[in-house]
Amino acid sequence: MIEANLSGLLSVLSTHGVEYIVIGGGAGVLMGLARTTLDVDIVYSRDLANMQRLVAALQEHRPYLRGAPPGLPFRWDVDTLRRGLNFTLVTDIGNLDLLGEVVGGGDYRQLLPFTKEISAFGITFRVVTLEQLIRLKRAAGRPKDLEVIAELEALLEELAGGDPPAGG
Amino acid sequence: MADREIPEAIDRTVDPVVEAYKRDVDRTLLRENLKLTPEQRVIKFEQFMRGFNELRGAARRKPATSDADGDT
Repeated sequence: MIEANLSGLLSVLSTHGVEYIVIGGGAGVLMGLARTTLDVDIVYSRDLANMQRLVAALQEHRPYLRGAPPGLPFRWDVDTLRRGLNFTLVTDIGNLDLLGEVVGGGDYRQLLPFTKEISAFGITFRVVTLEQLIRLKRAAGRPKDLEVIAELEALLEELAGGDPPAGG
Repeated sequence: MADREIPEAIDRTVDPVVEAYKRDVDRTLLRENLKLTPEQRVIKFEQFMRGFNELRGAARRKPATSDADGDT
């Protein structure tokens, strides 16, 4: 089953006090892109206390390496996070990509100035700005992102020159 | 109320491939989404994905049928 539980994943992370920044397709959805995504990408703070909160947040949701053969030993704990950096996970509440660093944006602290806070579903969380999301996509340099960049830039143009929505 | 950010100036190189793709972007969909709050956008997206999953599941569950000539 294709999991795109954006609200569920973000709620779990935020209610556990995890410091993270939404990037990628999830950020696009939040900004208004008319595209789907099959996973949620976040840049997480690698501060030890935050990694402990992240482990606790996902512990009961059975995180496992996405695409790995079943039965491969994978321990979801702080040591695993410390020894790695980026993890593509499947959980029972959706696919989640944890990024300690992102090309063109750096780590959590470096990316933080280029984010904004959003309140939704009774939680608050940070998401990269539209301009920064475009920079990240460009920096990734993947051919498949060119179409996304086009839509992101079109979205930026609509915000810059579009009429205010009816009703304000 | 929709959350409309004021875009900052962005210094970018014009990519001809991106510009070509941009001509085919359906801006009516973007404008509709910009009328929504971030929460509403996520709800709309998740509703779409649930519908997509249901359709996908239904397609998988439907048994193959054959016509009079035996073609499926």
